[in-house]
Amino acid sequence: MAIHSITVTVNGSREYLTVPSHVTLLQMLRERLALTGTKNGCEAGECGACTVLVDGEPVNSCMMLAVEADGREVTTVEGLAREGQLSPLQEAFVAHNAVQCGFCTPGVLISARALLERNPHPSGEEIREALVGNLCRCTGYLRIVQAVQAAAEEGGAK
Amino acid sequence: MQTPTPGLPAFDYTRPASLSEASQLLAEQAGEARPFMGGTDIFVQMRDGVVRSRTLVDVKHLPGMRDILYDEGMGLTVGAAATMNDAARHPDVQTRYPLLAEAAHSVASYQVRNRATIGGNLCNASPCADASLATLVLEGRVIVYGPGGEREMAVGEFFVGPGETSLQAGEFMTAIRYPVPPVGAAGRYLKLGRSKAGDLAIVSVAVLGFPDEGVPSGYRFRIGLGSVAPTVVRAPQAEAVLMENPPGEETFALAAERAMEAAAPIDDVRASAAYRRAMVRNLALRGLRQVGERIG
Amino acid sequence: MTNEGLPSALTSDPVGKGVPRIDAYEKVTGAAVFADDMQFGPGLYYGRLVRSSYAHALIKRIDASKALEMPGVKAVVTGRDVNTRIGLYLIDRPIFPTDRVRVVGEPVAGVVATSEEIADEAARLVEVEYEELPAVFDPVEAAQPDAPLLHPDLGKYEVANFIFPQPGTNISEHFKLRKGDVESAWPKCTAIVEGTFRLPRIQHVPIEPHVAVSLWEPSGNVTLWTCSQSPFAQRDLIAQSLDIPHGNLRVVSPYVGGGFGGKAGVSTEVYAVVLARAVKGHPVKLRMTREEEFFGTTTRQSLVAHTKIGCDADGNLLAMETAYYFGGGAYNDYGVNIARAAGYSCTGPYDIPNVKGDSYCVYTNEPIGSAMRGFGMPEIHWGIEQIMDQLAEKIRMDPAEFRRRNCVRTGDTILTGMTMPAIDLVACIDKVTEAIRWGTKEEASAPHKKRGKGVAIMWKAPAMPPNPGSSAIVRFNEDATLNVEVGAQDLGQGAFTVVAQMAAQVLGVPYEWVRVSVPVDTKYSPYEWQTVASRITWSTGNAVKAAAEDARRQILEIVADHWDEEPEDLDIKGGKVISYKSEQEQTLKDMVIYGLPNENFEGWKGGPIVGQGRFMPTYVTNLDFETGQGTRAVVHYTVGAQAVDLEIDTETGQVEVLKIASAYDVGKAINPDLVMAQIEGGAVHGMSSAFEVLRFDEAGRPLNSSFVDYRIATSVDAPKEIHGDFVETPLEDGPWGARGVGEHVMVQTAPAMANAIYDALGIRFSALPLSAEKIFLALEERERAGG
Repeated sequence: MAIHSITVTVNGSREYLTVPSHVTLLQMLRERLALTGTKNGCEAGECGACTVLVDGEPVNSCMMLAVEADGREVTTVEGLAREGQLSPLQEAFVAHNAVQCGFCTPGVLISARALLERNPHPSGEEIREALVGNLCRCTGYLRIVQAVQAAAEEGGAK
Repeated sequence: MQTPTPGLPAFDYTRPASLSEASQLLAEQAGEARPFMGGTDIFVQMRDGVVRSRTLVDVKHLPGMRDILYDEGMGLTVGAAATMNDAARHPDVQTRYPLLAEAAHSVASYQVRNRATIGGNLCNASPCADASLATLVLEGRVIVYGPGGEREMAVGEFFVGPGETSLQAGEFMTAIRYPVPPVGAAGRYLKLGRSKAGDLAIVSVAVLGFPDEGVPSGYRFRIGLGSVAPTVVRAPQAEAVLMENPPGEETFALAAERAMEAAAPIDDVRASAAYRRAMVRNLALRGLRQVGERIG
Repeated sequence: MTNEGLPSALTSDPVGKGVPRIDAYEKVTGAAVFADDMQFGPGLYYGRLVRSSYAHALIKRIDASKALEMPGVKAVVTGRDVNTRIGLYLIDRPIFPTDRVRVVGEPVAGVVATSEEIADEAARLVEVEYEELPAVFDPVEAAQPDAPLLHPDLGKYEVANFIFPQPGTNISEHFKLRKGDVESAWPKCTAIVEGTFRLPRIQHVPIEPHVAVSLWEPSGNVTLWTCSQSPFAQRDLIAQSLDIPHGNLRVVSPYVGGGFGGKAGVSTEVYAVVLARAVKGHPVKLRMTREEEFFGTTTRQSLVAHTKIGCDADGNLLAMETAYYFGGGAYNDYGVNIARAAGYSCTGPYDIPNVKGDSYCVYTNEPIGSAMRGFGMPEIHWGIEQIMDQLAEKIRMDPAEFRRRNCVRTGDTILTGMTMPAIDLVACIDKVTEAIRWGTKEEASAPHKKRGKGVAIMWKAPAMPPNPGSSAIVRFNEDATLNVEVGAQDLGQGAFTVVAQMAAQVLGVPYEWVRVSVPVDTKYSPYEWQTVASRITWSTGNAVKAAAEDARRQILEIVADHWDEEPEDLDIKGGKVISYKSEQEQTLKDMVIYGLPNENFEGWKGGPIVGQGRFMPTYVTNLDFETGQGTRAVVHYTVGAQAVDLEIDTETGQVEVLKIASAYDVGKAINPDLVMAQIEGGAVHGMSSAFEVLRFDEAGRPLNSSFVDYRIATSVDAPKEIHGDFVETPLEDGPWGARGVGEHVMVQTAPAMANAIYDALGIRFSALPLSAEKIFLALEERERAGG
C-alpha cells in the first residue's frame, strides 16, 4: 500500500501529513485534522455535504484523494469566519433563517462563496443552478437563495 | 448482500512524470492498473466493487492534458483531463462549439464539473455520457497514447459497448480533436433527466445543423442519441430524411419519427424503453425546430 | 414592541417574534457537533453489519471463522450472542435473527474491528447459508390467509394494550372504526365514488446518515452516542431488550442532521450497543453508508387504500367506507401505531356522519416501515384528497367549495366520537385559494404545456400513547444567563429556539440570555418521551413554561421577602425584578445563585434558582376495539390547507410546480419565522415525496439505493414561489395557545399536485410516484384511445 507525504494548506494553515493513496480529502479533513465541519452525506459526489474549496474551486471532497491535495490550498467552512467574525454569507444565513438542521449548511456556504466570487450578482436562477449539487432536505431552498442574494447585495463573498 | 464500501477500497496512487512512463506502468500492470483523472466515475464504481484496481495512474498533469486550444486549421483540441467546467466556460468552446459547452455544462453539479473530465466521460463509455454524445455529433476524434506511441480514431470507433472502449493495454486518452465546425452550424444538446438539472440523461439528443449546397435539401443535420443504445449513436435514418427534404415542420416531424429507429432502448430502473423511444422522437423534434430556426 | 431600554441587540418578550435561531452561529461555522463529529480517541473500534441477501429465508449456518482470522478484527456478533427481540409498540424484531431473515439487507451479524475498512472487508468474509422461503411484497396479498407467514410467533410477542395483532396471519394491527351506519347511508347518497389508491415505499433521506457509537464498560455502564430524536425512548427499548437497568444506560444525542421520523425508533443504535458489548471497554462506531441508509434503516410504509364515499344532492358527505393495507415491512414494531393512527383519522379533516374504516398493518418482506413525517397522514391523504375531488366533480361542485362545506369544524363530533377542539380550517382554505388565485384559469407558459391548480386539506393529531411526558429544568448562571434543559431535540425544526423564547418570555429576561443545553443526554437532561408527532412546541413548551414559572416564583418570593412586599406586586422585566408598588429594582445577576443578604448582612435569603416543570396530557382515553369510539382519542389536531399551481410538459410528461400556497392553524406562532421555514421546507418535501420511490426487484432487492437513482428535490426543482401563511386559533392547553406544525406542512402536497394534474390534463393518477414517464404514457394512451 502506497503512502504519501503531503503538504496541504488548509484554511491558511500548512499541514504536513502522511496518507495512504486511497484516503479521500474528506477523510483527511475529518479524521486526520478533526475539521468536522465538512460532512459525509453520501461518499458518491451527489449530495454536496462534503463540498470544500480547492484552490478556490468547489469540489466534492469525497471524490478527491488526499494525495491530490498535495501543494494545494483547501478552504473548509471553518475557514470562512475571520477571528470569530462571520462572513457576509454566514451572517446572511443567520439573519434569513437559511439554516435548519445545519448538516448541509457547510457545503452550501462553500458553494455559495465560490458562486459569489465568480458571479458577484447572481440571479435567483443562477443561485439555484449553482447549488444543484447541494442537497437540503429541511429548508426547501427558498431562504438559502434569499440569504445568498442578501449577501451579494452586501458586497459579496468575503 | 454486498453494499458499497464505506470510503474507497485500498489501491496505490501514482503520478508518472511522462506520457511514456504512464503508458509503461499501464502496460506492465495491465488489468490491475487504470488511468485516473477526475475520479467521479471510478470512485463510485470502486465503492460498488464494479471496478477493482490495484493502481490508479494519475495522468491529469501530463503535458497538454488540460489544455484547450483552437486552431483555424485543426479545430479544437481538448486535453483529455480538461474538466467539464474548463470546457463549458472556455470562450472558444462557447463560441465555436456551443453544443459541447452545453453538454459539458449539463453534467451533474458545479462541484462535479470541477473534477469530471471530458476524456474521463468518454473513457467511461456510458451510453448516457454527455460529452460522449456531443463529441459523436461534432465528429470528434480521440487521441490515444500507448506503447506504440500516439494513435487516433473517430470517436464512433472508440466506443465498443456500455463501459467498453477500444483502449488497449497500456493506452490512455490524451486529447479529443474536434474538426473546424461547418460554416453556419448551429447545435443543441437536449437532455432529459428526472430533475430539471443535475441528473444524468434518461434520454439525450444532440442536433447539429448547417447549410450544405451539396445535398438536395440544402442543409445537413447530424443527430445523436444517448441512453437508448449500448453506446451513443447517430440516427442515420433521420439524417437521411433531412438531407432529402427541405427543412420545415413536416420534415422535422418525419425525421424525428425516423430517429426512433436508431434507438434500441431498454427498460431499467430509470425509465422504460417505451418512454425512452418516445422521448427520442420528442426531443429530436424539439432540437430540430430550435436548430432549424437558427440556421435559417 | 419596545425593548424595555435594553441594548438593541437584545430581545425582550420574544414569544411571537422571529428571533434568529439559537444554534445558527454554531451551524454556519461548522462548529455544531453531529454524531459522526464526536471524537473518541485511538481506542475507537468500528462496526460493519453482515446483511441478508434474501427477502425471506431460514438461516442454516453462519460461519465467521474467516472474518475472525483477519488481523484487526476484534469480534463477530450473531443472534447466538444476542438472542433477544426489541420493539416499541410490538416487540417483534430480533436484534440479530437466529431462525430466519425477513427482508433483503436484514443484519444477521456484526463485525468489530480496529478500522472501518477492516470491519467492512471482514464482514464480506462472513459466510451465511440460507434456505429460501417464499416471499410476499404486496400488503393486500400478504394479508390473505394463504400468504407466506412472516411471524409464526406473532401471538407470543409483547404488545401495547392498544394494538391488536392477529396471530396466525401477517396482520400486526387491525384498527376498526365504526360510526353511524354506512349501509343505511349509501342509498341516501346522490353521488358515490369509489377508488383504490397506492403509494410505494419512500425514505426519509436525512442529509445526515445514521451514526451510532457505543461503549460498554466492564462495570456494566453503557453509553450510546447517536443522532437521535428520542434518546429516552431508545434507552427504554434497548434497556428492556438487553436487560440493562435504565440507570446504567446513557444515551447522548448531539445535533441531529435531519430526522423526519427516521431517527425516532431504534434501527442502527442497538447494533452499536451489542457490538460494544463484545469488546467491553472500547467504544464502537457504526455508520450507515448512504446506500444502507436507504434500505437498511427504516422507510415509510407502502399503502393500498380502498375508499368509497358518498354525499347528498347538496354535497354534504354522508358516508365513507375505507380499508387500508399498510405494507409494514419485515418488522412492524413502530408501524402498527401508524396503521392505528390512520384508522382513527381515516375520514381526513371532514365531518362524515357514517364511517366504516379498517386499517391493517401487514408484514411484508420489505424494509422496516416506520415513522416518517406525517405518520400515516401523507399516506392516507393521498387517496382521501383525490377522492374528495372526484366526488365534488360528480356533483359539479368546486373542490374548494366542497371542502369548505364538509371540512371539520370546532365542536364537530369526529369519527372517534371525540369533539373537535377549536381550529379554523375554513380560514386556511380561504388563504390558500386566494394566494393561488383559485378559480382563475391561467395560461401555460408554452403551447405544449398544460397548467392546472389543485387544492388539498389535511389534519393530524400527534399519534402517541396516552401518557407521553415532557419535563424541563431551568437553571441560572451567576451572570443571570440561564440554561434550559430539555430531553427534546432540535432536528432543525427550531425546538431549542422556541423553548428558549418561552423561558425568556416567562422570566422577563432577554432571549439572548438563554442557552439550551446540547447534547441531549439521558444522564443530565430531564425526561422527554420523544421528539416526534410535532409535539415539542406544545408539550415540551408547556414543561419549559412551567419550569420558568417555577423559577420566576422562586425569584419573586425571595425578592418580595427582601423588600417586605407581596410577590403579586413584583415583576421581572429586562432581567431585573421591579416592584410596581415601590418602584424598586433588583438585578437578577448574582442573586439567582447567591441569594440576597439581609440588612447589615445579618444572614442571607434565597440561593441557587432551579426551576422544574413537567407536562403530560391526562385526558386521552382508550378506544373501543370494535368501533374505535372513545371520549378522547387524541390530544388535539392541527389542520391546514395547500394549493398547488403547476404545469405539465405534455411532450415529456415532466411536472413543474410553479407555486405552492400553504396555510396552517398553528394556534400561536411562537416564532413566526420558524413556522414559515417549516411551511417552506415542508412544501418542498411534500412535492419531492410525490416523485420519490424506493424500487425493488422481484426478489425484493433494492434497485435504487443511491442519490443517482433516488432523487430528492434540488434547489432547481423547488418551486420558485412558496406562499406560506398561518392562522392562530389558540390551542386550549398549548403554551400561549401553540400547537405543532412540523409534519403537517408536507402531508397533502402530493394529492394537491394530483388534483392539479387532473385539472390540467383530465387524467387522475391514483398511484405514486407522479413520474414524468407515467404522465407521458398516460397522455399517449389517451390519445391512442381517441380521447
